[in-house]
Amino acid sequence: MAAQDRLTTSTFTRAELAAPVPLRPIPLLRVDGLSVSYGPHEVVTNVGFELGRGESLALIGESGSGKSTIARAVLRLLPSGGRATGRVAFDGQEVLGMSERGFRPLRGRAIGFVPQDPGNALNPVRTIGAQAQEAAALLDEPDKAIRKQLILETFAEVGLDNPRRVYDSYPHQLSGGMLQRVLIGLAILPRPALLVADEPTSALDVTIQKRILDLLTRLQHDLKISLLLITHDLAIAAERANSLVVLKDGVIQEAGRPASVFSSPASAYARKLRADVPALNPDRYAALRDTGFRALKTGGGDTPKIGVSAVTKTFTVDGKTLTAVDDISFTVPAGTTHALVGESGSGKTTAVRLLLGLEQPDTGTIAVAGEQITGRSPEALRAAWRHLQLVYQNPFTSLDPTWTIERLVREPLDRFNIGTSKERVARVREALADVGLGEHLLSRKPGALSGGQRQRVAIARALVLKPDVIVLDEPTSALDVSVQADIVEVLLSLQANLGLTYVFVSHDLALVRQLAHTVSVMHRGRIVEHGTVAAIFDNPQQPYTRSLLASIPSGVADPTQLPHARPRLMATAD
Amino acid sequence: MSHAYLAGAAKRIAQANVVILLAYVLTFVVVSILPGDPITNVLRDPQNGFGEDEIKAIIAAQGLDQPIPVQLWTSLSHFVVGDLGLSMRSSRPVATLIAEVLPSTLILSSAAFAIALLLAVTIGYGTQFVPKRLGQGLLRGFPSFFLSVPNFVIGLVLIHLFGFQLGLFRVIAPNSFWATCFAAVALGIPVSARIAEVLIANLDKESEQEYAAVARGRGLTQMRLFAKHLLKPSSLPVVTVIALAIGELLGGSLITETVFGRTGIGSLVQRAVSTQDLPVLQAVVSLAAVVFVLVNLIADLVYPLLDPRVKLVGDSRVRRTTADDSAIASSATVTS
Repeated sequence: MAAQDRLTTSTFTRAELAAPVPLRPIPLLRVDGLSVSYGPHEVVTNVGFELGRGESLALIGESGSGKSTIARAVLRLLPSGGRATGRVAFDGQEVLGMSERGFRPLRGRAIGFVPQDPGNALNPVRTIGAQAQEAAALLDEPDKAIRKQLILETFAEVGLDNPRRVYDSYPHQLSGGMLQRVLIGLAILPRPALLVADEPTSALDVTIQKRILDLLTRLQHDLKISLLLITHDLAIAAERANSLVVLKDGVIQEAGRPASVFSSPASAYARKLRADVPALNPDRYAALRDTGFRALKTGGGDTPKIGVSAVTKTFTVDGKTLTAVDDISFTVPAGTTHALVGESGSGKTTAVRLLLGLEQPDTGTIAVAGEQITGRSPEALRAAWRHLQLVYQNPFTSLDPTWTIERLVREPLDRFNIGTSKERVARVREALADVGLGEHLLSRKPGALSGGQRQRVAIARALVLKPDVIVLDEPTSALDVSVQADIVEVLLSLQANLGLTYVFVSHDLALVRQLAHTVSVMHRGRIVEHGTVAAIFDNPQQPYTRSLLASIPSGVADPTQLPHARPRLMATAD
Repeated sequence: MSHAYLAGAAKRIAQANVVILLAYVLTFVVVSILPGDPITNVLRDPQNGFGEDEIKAIIAAQGLDQPIPVQLWTSLSHFVVGDLGLSMRSSRPVATLIAEVLPSTLILSSAAFAIALLLAVTIGYGTQFVPKRLGQGLLRGFPSFFLSVPNFVIGLVLIHLFGFQLGLFRVIAPNSFWATCFAAVALGIPVSARIAEVLIANLDKESEQEYAAVARGRGLTQMRLFAKHLLKPSSLPVVTVIALAIGELLGGSLITETVFGRTGIGSLVQRAVSTQDLPVLQAVVSLAAVVFVLVNLIADLVYPLLDPRVKLVGDSRVRRTTADDSAIASSATVTS
C-alpha cells in the first residue's frame, strides 16, 4: 500500500516536472476559494492560503470565525450538513472532491489531527493502548509487539513519563496535559506530512500550554512536519508560526508573516485583536485600577474586607488524605482585587469554596467584612452571602436556559426577600445598566445572548444584592479575547464606581496582571508567594512563580525554538 | 476485582435482601386489607362445597384465626426459609403450584427477551448502516410505532393472521412451538422498542462525540469506527434498560398468556385473584419482587466491570470518575 502510494507520488512529480518549470515548489497544502456552508448559512467565505513543507501556519480568530471549520474541511471531517466548495490541494492533489474511499488512506497516514479538547477526544471506555494501536496500524508493521514498542517510544518522545502505564490506562485516569500529549503522539506516530492542530492548548494550564507548544514546534522541526495551527490567541500564533491568517466571520482579514501582522497590523480587526491580548497590554486598564491602588496604599480602612488566616482543608479520596489547602493566609483591603493564581489542582477552587462557606476548614478562620464565615450555621451563612457573591467561570452552564434574563437577575432579591416587587424591578434594571446591558434584554432567555452578554448577566445577578465582595472564579476563561477584554473593563469600572472588593481566581497570569492589585501564587495547596502585582511580576522570588511567568506567550518568537533557526544553532554547536 | 468493588457489592446485596423483605411485608399488608373476607367469600361459598370441618381445618392450617401481626410473622418466617405455605383452595403447597406453571412462563419470557434483543439490535445498529435515502427514517420510526401498540393488540393480530388465516399454529394448542413463537413475538415487540430507542439515541450521541471525529481522522472505516468505538459506549446504558425491560416482560407475560390461552404464572394469578387465594397471590407477587430486585442487582454489579469510568461505591448508586478528580488527586499532596 505504501509502495503504491510512493509510486503514485513519484509519477505525479515526474508529471509536474514535465510541465513548465514552476516558479516555486508545490506547497504541501493549498487552499483556494474555500467556502463552507450549513444549509443556507455560509460560515466560511472564499478563504485561501498556502502552507509549505516543514512550515507552520496559524489560523487566528474568535469563536464563530470559521477557523475550526476550515480545519475540519481540510480534514474532511465536517459534521453532517456541512458543505464545502472551492479547492483544497494536498501535495498537489485535489482532495475536496475526492470520494471518501479515496481520501481515507490520507487520514492519519499523511494528515494528522490534534483536536481541541483532550478530555473528549479519546474513547472513554477503551484503553489508550487500544486506540494507539489504531494509529500504529497505519505503519505497515505486521508485528503487534513491534507496533507496541513504537507506540511506547512515541509516548516517550512526546514527554510522557511512564509510557507503559499510559498505554494501559483509560482516558479518565490521565490529566488533560497527559491526554493532549497522547493525542499528539497518536497523530505523529504514522509520521504524517501535515499536522492539523485545532486549539491544542486552550483546555490546558499555562505551563502545560507552553510545554505542549514547545513539543509541537520541536516535532515540526525534527520530523519535518508541516503544522496548521488553529488558535484564538494572537500571541501564541505570532510566537509559533511562520505565517498568520487572521479570520473574522469566515472571511480573511489579514495574512502574512508574524512580523508584519503582529507588529504592525494593517486591518482594523487585527489591531483590535492585538490590543485585546492581555499579555501584550499589561497596563491597558491602569487608569481604572488607580482607585484600588490608592485604597491599597491607605490600607482600605481599619479592617481588611477579607481576612483568611492559617486555613487548612483536607479531603479523603479513596482512603487517602489529600491536603487541598495547606495553611493559607491572605488579607484583601476594601476596594481592591486579590488574585489567587495557580494551575489545576493547586487548591484555588477549594480556597474559593472555603471563602464562600461552602466548605468548612479543618483549622483556621475566615472573616469577610469583619464577620466570621467559619463555624456559622447555614442560616447565618445566608446572611453573609448578601455581601458575598460569586461569578462562575462558565456563563454557558451557570444560567438556567429556561429562565428570562429578568427572572435570573431578580432571583437573588426574591430569595432574600428584598424590597417591594416594584423596587425589585428597578434594582434589576439598575444592575443591568451597571454592566452595560439594555432593558430590551429583560424578556430574553440566555440562549439568545452571546457569551459576553451572558457573563454580564451573571455579573448583574451578583451585583443586584449590592454586595461588598464578589468572588470571580475564572470569569473570562470560557470567552474569546475581545469579549474577555470587555468583561474586564466592566469589572474594573464597577470596582472604581462602587468600591467593590474582588477575589479573582485565575490561571491566566496576563489577565491577573491587567486586573489585580495583589496576588497569591498557589502551588500544591500552599501559597508559595504573595505580594503586589508589580512585585510578583517584576521581581518573582520563587522558581514556581518564575516558571508560571515564563509560560505567558509573548508574541515574540524564541529564536532557539523556530525551525528555520535550529540548523544554524546546531552548526555553531558543532 | 478490587477491594472497594467487593465491599460495594456486599453492601448492594444486603440492600437487595432488605428490599425483598420489605416488598413481602408490603404485599402482605395490601393483601390483608383488601376488601372482602376470604373466609366468607371463598370457604363459605356454597358453590365450593366445603364442609364445616374442612373449613375449620383450613382456617387452622392457614392460621386465619390469628391476629394479623402474628399471621405476618408466621408467614414471613416461613418465606425466609423458602416455605411459601399452602394454597387455600386446593391445600397443595404453593411452591408446587408455581413450579408447575413456571417453566411455561420462563420459556415464553426468555423467548420474548431474545426476540426483543434481536429486534432492538437490528433496528438500532441498522440505523448506522442503512443510508438515509434507503429507509433509515423508516427504521428509526419502528420503536415509537411498536410502543404505541399494546401487546395484546399485537397478540390478537398475530392469532388472527397466523392462527386463523394462515393456519400456521393451532389456537387450541397454545403450548406448541409455533404458538409459543408468536406469543413471544407479541410480548417481545414492545420491549424491543424501549431497548432500540435507547440504542439509537446513544449511537447518535456517541457518533457526534469528538472522539469519533478524531478516530475517523486516524483513518478508520465506518465499519471499524462502529465496531471498535461506538458499539460499546452506546450499548452499555442498555444494560440498565434491559433490567427494567425484564420487569416489563413479567407484567406483559400475564396479559399475553391470557390472550393466547397459555397456562403459566398469568393463569395462576388470574385464578388466585378470582378465588382470593391469598397465599398464592402473596407468593407470586413476592416472586416478581425477587426477580426484579435480582435483575437490577445483577445490572448494578455488572456495570462497573463493563464501563471503566463507573465505580461501585456503598453510599450512592454508581459514581463516575472524571479526569479532573484524578488530576487533582495526582497533583495534590498525599499525606495518608
